[in-house]
Amino acid sequence: MDPTPARFAIRIHGHLGATVLSAFPALMSRRHGADTVLTGLLDRSALYGVLAEIEALGLDLVEVRCLTSQRKSPESGDRRSP
Amino acid sequence: MTVARATLRLIDRGDLLAALDRAAAGKVTIISAPAGSGKTSLLRAWADRPGQPQRLAVLQVQRDQQDAQQFWLALVSAVRDASGTTSGAEPPAATPDFNGQAMVDRVLSELADASDGITLVIDDLHELSSPEAFAQLTRLLTGLPPNAHAILTTRRDLRLRLHQLRLTGELAEIRAADLRFTGRETRELLDASGITLSEAGAALLHQRTEGWAAGLRLAAISLAGHPDPERFVAEFSGSDRTVAEYLIAEMLERQSADVQDLLLRTSLLDRVNGELADLLTGRAGSEQILLSLEDANAFVVSLNPERTLFRYHHLFADLLRLELRRTLPEEVPVLHRRAAGWFTLHGQVVNAIRHTQAAGDWADAARLLADHSFSLTLDGQAQTMQALLRAFPPGADQPELALVRAMGDLAQGRLDEAAAYLAVAETYAETAPPERQRRLQVAVASLRLSLARRRGHLAGVIEQARFLASPVTGQSDEDIALDSDLRTVALMNLGTAEAWTLGLPEAPDAERHLREGADLAREIGRPYLEVGCLAQLGFASLVLHSYATTQRRCREAIALAERHGWGAEPVIAPALIMLAGTMVWTGEFDEGERWLQRTRQALETDTGPDITLLLRQTAGLLHAGRGRNHEALEEFGAAEYLGSQLAESQALATRTTRWLLATQARLGMTGHARALLAALDDERASSGEIRNTLAVICLAEGDPAAALDAVADVLDGTASVLGYVTVMEAHLLAGLAYRELGDQRAANQAAESALALAEADRLVLPFAMTGSAELLEALPRHETAHAALLAEILDVLHGLSPAAKEQSALSPAEELSPGELRVLRYLPTNLSRPEIASELSVSLNTVSTHVRSIYSKLQVRDRSSAVQRARELRLLAAGRTR
Repeated sequence: MDPTPARFAIRIHGHLGATVLSAFPALMSRRHGADTVLTGLLDRSALYGVLAEIEALGLDLVEVRCLTSQRKSPESGDRRSP
Repeated sequence: MTVARATLRLIDRGDLLAALDRAAAGKVTIISAPAGSGKTSLLRAWADRPGQPQRLAVLQVQRDQQDAQQFWLALVSAVRDASGTTSGAEPPAATPDFNGQAMVDRVLSELADASDGITLVIDDLHELSSPEAFAQLTRLLTGLPPNAHAILTTRRDLRLRLHQLRLTGELAEIRAADLRFTGRETRELLDASGITLSEAGAALLHQRTEGWAAGLRLAAISLAGHPDPERFVAEFSGSDRTVAEYLIAEMLERQSADVQDLLLRTSLLDRVNGELADLLTGRAGSEQILLSLEDANAFVVSLNPERTLFRYHHLFADLLRLELRRTLPEEVPVLHRRAAGWFTLHGQVVNAIRHTQAAGDWADAARLLADHSFSLTLDGQAQTMQALLRAFPPGADQPELALVRAMGDLAQGRLDEAAAYLAVAETYAETAPPERQRRLQVAVASLRLSLARRRGHLAGVIEQARFLASPVTGQSDEDIALDSDLRTVALMNLGTAEAWTLGLPEAPDAERHLREGADLAREIGRPYLEVGCLAQLGFASLVLHSYATTQRRCREAIALAERHGWGAEPVIAPALIMLAGTMVWTGEFDEGERWLQRTRQALETDTGPDITLLLRQTAGLLHAGRGRNHEALEEFGAAEYLGSQLAESQALATRTTRWLLATQARLGMTGHARALLAALDDERASSGEIRNTLAVICLAEGDPAAALDAVADVLDGTASVLGYVTVMEAHLLAGLAYRELGDQRAANQAAESALALAEADRLVLPFAMTGSAELLEALPRHETAHAALLAEILDVLHGLSPAAKEQSALSPAEELSPGELRVLRYLPTNLSRPEIASELSVSLNTVSTHVRSIYSKLQVRDRSSAVQRARELRLLAAGRTR
């Protein structure tokens, strides 16, 4: 498990209003049809914190996706993808 | 906390209630569904149904409950409320050391005692974030007695290992899909709320909310009395906003400005009451508003029958809180501060600290926490304290917190870290503002005292006790209360340290301090500290008092502990081990073994080296008394090892070596023993105890003359001895040596001297350990003034110690009088009745009368039967308690 922060996209059904969005200050939100997608750079603790908040607010979680496309091993020395 | 009455307009979801009925017939039911699914409402409706047969013990887990002990105390309390127990036991009180295992056992036994069964109802179990509490809960659930059931609600599946129950079909689950409102139920809800909506409208509502209970209830609130319900539903349906957000915004909008303000401002509280709400809004009349909100079924719930305390549904409160932060950001710290002030005034320290932290006033929060850390620990909130500590930001370190960290480390046995933090706290105390200085210095001194005691460093302890001499000079009630807590703990620690030096000079001080501590503890209502002081007092008594007095004090302490449910806690261990020890010394081996076992159980969660050493040593003595020298060697070896680790607490360590050496010698390991002996320094080597040990070695090597040389110093009083027992032992060893040398007269004299010393406390163990059976048997009855004692000792040596059964008491009519008991003790001897009469200085007639009465009461016909029956009934031992 990679401890460094990675980009995550979290999809929630429904559009989030200003109030609920204020619970996720570290994330950007974008509407995708009937869903809202929250994206941001999160390490594991932060990710689980976000998920806990989603649970607490009774939101409809649809998908969690890691956007870091390639996960290189440290020895290879290549730069990590954004 | 009782289940709040189910408010109006919750429809009767008959099918669901039936399902819960069916489920609840099994052992454990878990209702697992996301926030707002209607779990709690279902529980309430089920509980409040007329004709609800079960007795319910209800606990709603507090938000973010990290403290296992607080969780369990609340659960025990709920169970007791449900069963209406008025047993002799005290209500559960918190203890600084928490024994989770004992807690679970306690709950299980309370559940078992309730004859017609109790159902545990634990709501919001996901809020419990203590891993150890979960492990304990699993044990509880898998071990529920036959008539007991449990219903748990949670928002997410939990790490409870209940596979066993699942396999046997005793686990039932109700999940989100089960809780969802059907279309029909949706229409019923609308009808019950007096809302007129078309079929299509109802269907649309159902579809949009997906049958989610919270959504439907929120919608119902907005729809009730709405001029155009159809349009509302249409707009709601057409919106993509999440259901909760949309509907809560709608609901808020329909409230008056006052109500909106109230809801927002009080959202940052876990529990709301009218007074506090008034404080936060700056207006009166909040209680009325809260009551009407509850009546309108708007996610406000009262928590007590008087309806003065309220709680908002978590979901509702969370959204309100977000809205507050968004719309009135600058108000938030102000509100937290006001709340903190109110909580401080009302003695709710933990809440006060939480709100002070939330306001961002870290220095103030640190001060509050530091001031109350002792009291919180004594209240059993140590884990809560740690949680509060963790909430401080890692960057800026508050010097006041050093004290709290020191306490935490000390409690966990990390003595070096505790000392380091204590040093920081001390430095800070020197530069603190004058009004805080005394309190800080007293707290630091008290902690230093505890630390010194843990390390067995008596000099350090005395040094820190200076402040105890000054009377309590607090200004406010709070000051006095804090001071009293500190004083009591300090007295207990000081007295304990003095007691464990096992020294004569310190003994009177130890007793005085422990008594004072116990009295103060009783006065300020700290039963745990009272038990602690009394336990140590029992332990300390032997230095100055008889075995009988010591046993009595120990039993008193144990009885008090048991009344509070602490009979198996580490706090009572000193009394347990002392009781066990005295019994081993007086030859009551079976009884002693029982108490030894209880001590082991009590020490499971606390393995302080000094008391563990004592435990091993006593176990060794027991084995030795029973002639099991190999087992004895093992125990003494372990004790010796522990002794080598106790750098500063020498008193205990030195006592062990002699037993180890003697046992080695008796097992024929004389080479070993001599080597160990040679390694001792001169001072120890010349002590009476070690001289005796040398004698044992010599006897084992077949050199009785050398043995006599070894004990000469002890017998003429030139060697230093710890107590008279050493002299007694020396006489016995001399006696054995004389026997070897063929001087029977001298042997008899030695045996008689030993018996004389043993008479006061009726000590038996030295005779057993030295293997003096033959020595005693060779002593003619008419040459001893201690025939009764002699007979008792021989009984023990021949393995005839009283049966380890439950003491079957004689009925009152049959109880022997004191005079009869005195005669009874002589029956096992070979003395004739005239001889007994002469011993007791009474007439022959009196003796005969007593004997007849004894036979009659014991229902026997002859002397030997009488003796046997007396042994069974443990009457021979009973004669000892003076």
